[in-house]
Amino acid sequence: MIELNNVSYTYPHTVQPALHRITISLEKGRCMMVTGPSGAGKTSLCLAASGILHHEYGGKKEGSVIIDGKDVTDYRSLSDLAQNVGVVFDDPESQMIFTTVEEEILSALEYRGLSAVAVEERLSGIMKTTYLEELKDRSPHNLSGGQKQRVALAATLALGNDILILDEPTSELDEHATKRIAGILRDLKNQGKTILLIEHKFGHFREMVDTLVVMENGRITSGGVPDAVLEDDHIRGMVLPDFSGIKKNVRAADTGEPVISVQNLTYRYGDVLALSDISLTIRKGEFIAIVGENGSGKTTLVKHFNRLLSPTSGDVVVNGKNTKDCSIAALASDVGLVFQNPDHMFFADTVREEIAYGVKNLGIENGDAVIDAALRDAGLTGAAGLYPRWLSRGERQQLGIACVVAMQPSVIVLDEPTTGLDGYEALLVITILKKLQENGHTIVIITHNLDIANHCADRIITMENGKIISDTGGA
Amino acid sequence: MRMAEILQYVHKDAFLHRLHPYTKIAFIIVVSIMCLITTNLFFLSLMVLAMLAFAAYSRLLAESLQQLKLILVMSIIFILITIITMPNGDTIGYIVPQGVPFIGGLIPITSGGITIGLVLTLRFVVLIFAFQLFLISTQPRDIVHTLEKVGLPIDYILMFIIALRFIPTLQIEGQRIHEAQLARGFNPGTGFVGKIRSVAPIAIPLVSNALLRSNVLGLTIDMRGYRTGRKTHVRERVLARRDCAVMGVLAVAACGFAALVLLQVV
Repeated sequence: MIELNNVSYTYPHTVQPALHRITISLEKGRCMMVTGPSGAGKTSLCLAASGILHHEYGGKKEGSVIIDGKDVTDYRSLSDLAQNVGVVFDDPESQMIFTTVEEEILSALEYRGLSAVAVEERLSGIMKTTYLEELKDRSPHNLSGGQKQRVALAATLALGNDILILDEPTSELDEHATKRIAGILRDLKNQGKTILLIEHKFGHFREMVDTLVVMENGRITSGGVPDAVLEDDHIRGMVLPDFSGIKKNVRAADTGEPVISVQNLTYRYGDVLALSDISLTIRKGEFIAIVGENGSGKTTLVKHFNRLLSPTSGDVVVNGKNTKDCSIAALASDVGLVFQNPDHMFFADTVREEIAYGVKNLGIENGDAVIDAALRDAGLTGAAGLYPRWLSRGERQQLGIACVVAMQPSVIVLDEPTTGLDGYEALLVITILKKLQENGHTIVIITHNLDIANHCADRIITMENGKIISDTGGA
Repeated sequence: MRMAEILQYVHKDAFLHRLHPYTKIAFIIVVSIMCLITTNLFFLSLMVLAMLAFAAYSRLLAESLQQLKLILVMSIIFILITIITMPNGDTIGYIVPQGVPFIGGLIPITSGGITIGLVLTLRFVVLIFAFQLFLISTQPRDIVHTLEKVGLPIDYILMFIIALRFIPTLQIEGQRIHEAQLARGFNPGTGFVGKIRSVAPIAIPLVSNALLRSNVLGLTIDMRGYRTGRKTHVRERVLARRDCAVMGVLAVAACGFAALVLLQVV
């Protein structure tokens, strides 16, 4: 169904090819999973395999792409290609054009030349397959990440094409939502769809993947039946990372002095009770993982640590200061927060300037030395002069950490630090955090990855519906 | 997080929602013409009340009043501008009291200035309410169908729909970026230069992310075939009896209004 023969591609104004002599072949009804580090060219491969690259992008192209027996250059336009291929891009929010779920899917169906009856039939079928029936009147900004992803998938299914290409459909999702997407894709494969999947979470898709392809630096470094590919230790570490052995010195939780103490914290907005009577003490030098499903209150809780949110009732005391009496700027030197998507903070022209921003804001002395140290701690020494947005996702995450480290907070909080990273990148981030812990920082991470929580954290806090339901470190 | 959802479709089953988009467009046109022609303060105030009553009848009053703050601020600005730029009629007082040495008695407040200011404000309020009622009660899909039938090119229609659709998305994203920068000790800055400088840490990520978004959005539109032009018409709205009734009322109102204008009552 899809064939790439010796495809090389270089984006305009760049030297390094994004794709280098790629040859793959995906047969009807099969599923191919492509994995590899961030920035390896997986998204470019997605664009090439869907024909978008040849129709929409400039730059240097070599080799041929054949979709459904026809060379992509023989298709007249993207709309023509869209009769054969369905693509789900990696940002579901940008793929929602209308204001309710049902409208979104219905609108995609209306352009397929079907009869009105067939449209209605297919609509209800798709809503059922993607479990969206109950959400049909919701608007996009009131949906969770997993729900949005299902809508994007549903609107693509509406096209009724046999070929489906998905670019990291589960990267922002928790365990539960990932399983749901995996289940839907498995059903679709059983219905005979041909699926090209860009993913990191091989474990969830193991049963349905026929071919596993590994990309590094724009090249295919391995490919074939998953079990055979995974015999290689290097690839095994990338696809199924092993975090055991990270946790060296198990600290007794009650030795350090308290750095953050939360007392009977309740937070509500509108009618929603987001946090309910939370009490928690975080001690100096701890490495804590907060786990729980989307919407359980994890991010809401950590936003109280630096007063981005103020308690409806209760107190948060950081390094002896009640946050009620401090400004957010003043707390920035106590608690550093790295958000889930580091792109929300980058605006400078170089990595170095980006780090310098926080340092200047806080008026830290010896700025240059501090920045150098932060670059080193985050493993970015060689990247100081680069433009932040050109870094790979993994490097951007490291930069997010460097920006916060340079502000020298005693507590560093990270929201989903391993999202969108391959095994080695995730391992690198965790190693960096472990080192920061050894240097005396207190680390709090929010994560969906239970493997990371179990193997790396000294203490695991589980949240559900705005409450802490378990805490391995005790109060 | 709940945000003020500016100009977003609200899913309900009420009177306005059930009307055909044509009827609602006719409503906007008649209301706009009326409020732009008349300068009668009493008549304009009646129109504002009518809009509110209509919103309440369609169970959209709370949503309509979301922009109240914006409307109040704009009204004050309108009135101030007209007082300063269009003095006319009796002088009622002065913005700078006469007792102040040297500059006392500057910028007179005139009855004519206030009247023009009020007229502009009330027109503005009527127009905002009318457009808002249309947008929050009509599904974007129906707007697309209707505008397509009127003969507008699909690219322009999608542009309009997308501009509206992404208001809350950008709002939420702006909020997130603001929080991320606050956590880095972001200082909103003082003075004019400081204010301008402090825009960069928020505006640059917001614009860069939006550009990335627009790329994916553009590809999505193509890959879903929205621009092919072949279309199955599903769940199309038909003009119902209530549409005829509303159109009738609009026609009577328009005639009545024309008569009043000819008689120089309004």
